[in-house]
Amino acid sequence: MQTYKAPLRDMRFVVHEMNDSVSLSALRGLEEISPDLIDSILEEAAKVAQEVLAPTNMIGDEEGCRLENGVVRTPTGFKQAYDTFCEGGWTAIACDPRFGGQGLPESVNKLIEEMICSANLAFSLYPGLTHGAYEAIASHATEELKQIYLPKMVEGTWSGTMCLTEAHCGTDLGMMRTRAVPQADGSYRVSGSKIFISAGEHDLTENIIHLVLARMPDAPPGIKGISLFLVPKFLPTDDGRPGPRNGVVCTAIEHKMGIKGSSTAQLSFDDAQGWLVGVPHKGMAAMFTMMNSERLSVGIQGLGAAEASYQGAVAYAKDRIQGRALSGAKEPGKQADPIIVHPDVRRMLMTMRAYTEGCRALGGWVARELDIFARSDDPEAKQQADDFTALMTPIVKSLFTDLGFEATNIGMQVYGGHGYIRDHGMEQYVRDARISMIYEGTNGIQALDLVGRKLPQHAGRLLRGFFHPVAEFIEAHSSHPQLGAMVTGLGKAFGALQLATGHIAAKGMADPEEAGAAASDYLRLFGLVALGYMWARTAVIAVEKLPKANGETEFYQGKLTTARFYMERILPQAGGLFMAIKSGKASMMEMPETTF
Amino acid sequence: MSIRKVGVIGAGTMGAGIAAQIANAGVPVVLLDIVPEGAASRNMLADGAVTRLLKTEPAAFMHKSAAGLVETGNIEDDLGKLSDCDWIVEAVLERPDIKHALYAKLEAVRRPGSVISSNTSTIPLKMLTEGRNAAFRRDFVITHFFNPPRYMRLLEVVGGPETSPDIVAEISAFADESLGKSVVLCEDSPGFIANRLGIYWLQVAMIEAIDHGLTVEEADAIVGPPMGIPKTGVFGLLDLVGIDLGPQVNASMRRALPKTDAFHSYDREVPLIGRMIAEGNTGRKGTGGFYRLDRTGGKRDKQAIDLSTGEYRAERKANLPEIRAAGRDLRSLLEAKGKVGAYAFRVLAQTLSYAATLIPEAAADVVSVDATMRLGYNWKQGPFELADRLGVDWLIGKLTAAGMAVPKLLSDAAGRGFYRVEAGKRQFLGLDGAYHDVIRAAGVLLLEDIKLASEPLLKNGSAALWDIGDGVACFEFTSKSNSIDDKLLELLAKSLDLVAEKFKALVIYNEGSNFSVGANLGLALFAANIAAWSEIDKLISGGQKTFKAMKYAHFPVVAAPAGMALGGGCEIVLHSDAVQAHAESYIGLVETGVGLVPGWGGCGEMLARWKADPKLPRGPMPASAKTFEAISTATVSKSAHEARGHKFLRDTDGISMNRDRLLADAKARALAMVEGYTPPNAPEFKLAGASGRFGLNMAAEGFAKRGLATPHDLIVADALAEVLTGGPADLVDVVTEQQLLDLERAAFMRLARTGPTLARIEHTLETGKPLRN
Repeated sequence: MQTYKAPLRDMRFVVHEMNDSVSLSALRGLEEISPDLIDSILEEAAKVAQEVLAPTNMIGDEEGCRLENGVVRTPTGFKQAYDTFCEGGWTAIACDPRFGGQGLPESVNKLIEEMICSANLAFSLYPGLTHGAYEAIASHATEELKQIYLPKMVEGTWSGTMCLTEAHCGTDLGMMRTRAVPQADGSYRVSGSKIFISAGEHDLTENIIHLVLARMPDAPPGIKGISLFLVPKFLPTDDGRPGPRNGVVCTAIEHKMGIKGSSTAQLSFDDAQGWLVGVPHKGMAAMFTMMNSERLSVGIQGLGAAEASYQGAVAYAKDRIQGRALSGAKEPGKQADPIIVHPDVRRMLMTMRAYTEGCRALGGWVARELDIFARSDDPEAKQQADDFTALMTPIVKSLFTDLGFEATNIGMQVYGGHGYIRDHGMEQYVRDARISMIYEGTNGIQALDLVGRKLPQHAGRLLRGFFHPVAEFIEAHSSHPQLGAMVTGLGKAFGALQLATGHIAAKGMADPEEAGAAASDYLRLFGLVALGYMWARTAVIAVEKLPKANGETEFYQGKLTTARFYMERILPQAGGLFMAIKSGKASMMEMPETTF
Repeated sequence: MSIRKVGVIGAGTMGAGIAAQIANAGVPVVLLDIVPEGAASRNMLADGAVTRLLKTEPAAFMHKSAAGLVETGNIEDDLGKLSDCDWIVEAVLERPDIKHALYAKLEAVRRPGSVISSNTSTIPLKMLTEGRNAAFRRDFVITHFFNPPRYMRLLEVVGGPETSPDIVAEISAFADESLGKSVVLCEDSPGFIANRLGIYWLQVAMIEAIDHGLTVEEADAIVGPPMGIPKTGVFGLLDLVGIDLGPQVNASMRRALPKTDAFHSYDREVPLIGRMIAEGNTGRKGTGGFYRLDRTGGKRDKQAIDLSTGEYRAERKANLPEIRAAGRDLRSLLEAKGKVGAYAFRVLAQTLSYAATLIPEAAADVVSVDATMRLGYNWKQGPFELADRLGVDWLIGKLTAAGMAVPKLLSDAAGRGFYRVEAGKRQFLGLDGAYHDVIRAAGVLLLEDIKLASEPLLKNGSAALWDIGDGVACFEFTSKSNSIDDKLLELLAKSLDLVAEKFKALVIYNEGSNFSVGANLGLALFAANIAAWSEIDKLISGGQKTFKAMKYAHFPVVAAPAGMALGGGCEIVLHSDAVQAHAESYIGLVETGVGLVPGWGGCGEMLARWKADPKLPRGPMPASAKTFEAISTATVSKSAHEARGHKFLRDTDGISMNRDRLLADAKARALAMVEGYTPPNAPEFKLAGASGRFGLNMAAEGFAKRGLATPHDLIVADALAEVLTGGPADLVDVVTEQQLLDLERAAFMRLARTGPTLARIEHTLETGKPLRN
């Protein structure tokens, strides 16, 4: 069953115990942040997620969105849920106080995002897209545009979108056709068709602010000739209300595998009035400045779905009685034992748990670096944070969504046939999670970004922010009395990652196809080692805390056991991935196209 | 007969530069000029020239002491000083009347049989010798140097019908062996080869760029690296040589060349050029050129001129997909649709066709023309080599299709090409329609030729080992920039085994523009970034072991550097039993610049050299201090002569003036050492330990107080000081070579883990400049 309870204890572990939340207050604008404040915000967010958003999740999936006379109707309950969500100020969490935001750090915001995604992934798209558009406007638009649009977007009365994809170009945006013609008054007339626009049209807000990539008449060809424009659905009046309708209409919405409560629109722009955001022809650069945060958010979607599925699977595994334990009846008084007695069911639950908690920890590390990048005054710290987040972005996006999908799939498996039917909502998690591997740059593109762009940059400088702390951790803990074996295992996988990195750097320089052939396996190897590091650090903290854990012995013991499971049962995959990487491109590139 | 003393008349840029290069060869030289009206001293011009030479950058003298070989004077009082000169070079104004008057005087004072030459670039030899006696005409040649004479390897030598072949041979041999020039013999025709073809090429490239509506950046990107031409291209080069020179040389060509010459069809007045000269925008020497740096209001904006409006605008890097698409395929660039392909084809086709018409009028053969363009303009390939690269038949087809004339020499080459390799020998197509061997001067040995005739004994991606005859093997670096990496070290170790077994001696030499720029920092930095410390440690200890094996091998090892020998490249030189260096060798241990210390034994080798210097005061510190000074300031010698002073070379090490003779000289040196060769003894050191380290640190801190050293410089300096004073050593301890190596390795590894060192390496890799953090 879909019975979501926010994993607050684990979130506190990540933000406080792993990432030293106290130190956040040293950053600009976070002076007032304290662990207590964070805890109370998380508790409030949990209530909204559990009580407001989660109840609409299955209805949203059943009903989906409907396009009626150019207007998209969201599923029953979405509008009320959205209004409550806005009233609680949850659209303003990570926004600048200058525009009415609460100015909270990403370290907290990403945890809240996870709760929203667990509760209702389709719903999360609406505030999520608004926040992406908010970031683009806040970073690149003129002060005038900011003053008109941002306060409304922060309070949630207006929402936002990102219009990139066209029918013939998704990954390769250089082929874009949408045009923007400059007008005498400094605005532009935007014409063209966009598809796959999440939250592109809906009934949740009084206005929708589209951020549209388009080409000016004098633009250089290709990706370097694309500019970013702000195009509102309704042109704002002088007193900030939605005025006349602009030349943008929703021509259709997509019928999709999952996230059915999210409206995925085809938009037609016909001489729509728009305003330039940022520098002419530098639209892609403007988009990329918020990509690290956006892609981390998509990764969080995978994590959110996995967590929700895990909770459903655990409940079922304890409740469902069927057969007997292999070692003999565990509950002889009952007709059968609960299926959680079985090693294979345990394997499934432990895998899900190792994934979700590991990803949550890694996401916490990256979110913290995002905060440092955005708010530190030390140029060196800022640079290092920028390097690190740039490196980890493709890893987090791909790994979290791959593992998220795998975890929801396992969650469905725990239910057997009852997972495959719709009644329990377990198959919905699978379908909802699946899109996160595709949008915001497919996971294959993420892997190429990692090996082609991030790896070679500055002779590998971006790698330093990950490799040096891991190497130091291994050096420092290899003779840890209780965890020595665990750290040795991590060291082995880390060694494989080092060798694979050197191998790809050397091979890929001579032959980019070699790098391309290794990319996905390499990203997974990197991700597994990153989770291994998270689990090893978790274990070190757990060992420290256990002697005086009082009522929390079970929590820390659970951490320690899961860490061991990860190291013994999952991390060894690193060796296989390493061998696959070393084997080179031949087996995939040799075959003539005609043989396929 | 040999040339033991030289007279140079005319102390302008060329005359002075020629005098300096003669002094660099160790030959005394008399430098004369006129006595200007109202001069404070009668030798003012020549004295001023020497003062200027001492300040020129890049330096004209290879060593300050060479200036002592230049005796100054004036042509009114000192013509007598020319009477014992074996060669008199005239480099005065390009005016026949002035030259005639001077020659009349020279005829009277010169020693019979001495060589007389003019550095003219525009006046025909037959006009210069008018009115002179038979002996003068017999001994007279044109020696056309290029600016700056020390660094430009090309020398055009022109003899007249009456010039004695012995005189041409003698001056050519001296220029080759002593001055290090590559001599190209030219006919007595206007502009000889270099100016004739060069002026035509530049004129065509400029006019066609304007006609095709290209920007200067685009033109330079097309007529540049894709054609093997330096990236200054056309307009960048015009800025360098001086835009005001254009109309002058064009006028001289206009007068001298027959009406049928193709030059005239491009001899068009360009209003923009006139305007630029009038406004003082004559290039780098003027207020701006086709490019300029706009410094108004404290800015430093790179700008370029708009060829159609003549106004400056922000520089716009050429973004030409045609060049990217063509890659190394020059043909496909010339075939590209649109103005880029059309321009590339017009310029190259016209230039190659013109070159083909210059034989035999200006040059005897294609080899001379190709050598001229390579040496005089730094083209990677000469015009006929380019024609071969394009395919002669393809070129003829394209010329015909475009309705352009096909020169006879080009049609002679149809179905074959201008060069071929036959039985391991490079041959060229002669005017007689047959192929002839490309003949090297006696004493010239080139790996390039050996490679045509044989296979390497050993080879991997970074190095190769060749048999260069007479029991000598040659180890060649082949990696990018000849940087030293694990593969190179691995092959060197293997080579040492093979040489020990089958050869008498080893020469370490290559024909890259630099001997070696040192360790492959890109690989090292990547390894450091992924914390692959054991790999880096392996690279350091592996290098130390291999270099020591080389030093103590039972056969002589001679290093033959040319160009830069930096860092690890310097350490190879230091570990060799002897060195034969090209005069233009720039040697130094520059590791501190990237926040490291030498890791392959450089510290110990330098320490041992200074320790052995009897001129240093006694005690352990002077050698440590001298070595510390050279390494901590990343000193690089600006010539082989200077390298001796820094002890990167021994006084007994040889110097070759001519790059093409370096390998033969090194081989001869190695062979001379074979008989009774014994490896050197390992040095032992007495070092001052902690107190010495403290002293060296004090000196470094002094630098820091004066703002000359950064905080990280001090950390690096301390690591170096620790090595050079023996670490934990005490004065009574003997520090072995191996202990020093261990200290060196530890210091290197410690520094490699620091952020500022990694930042320095990255900055140097990406910008080519040091980071002062």
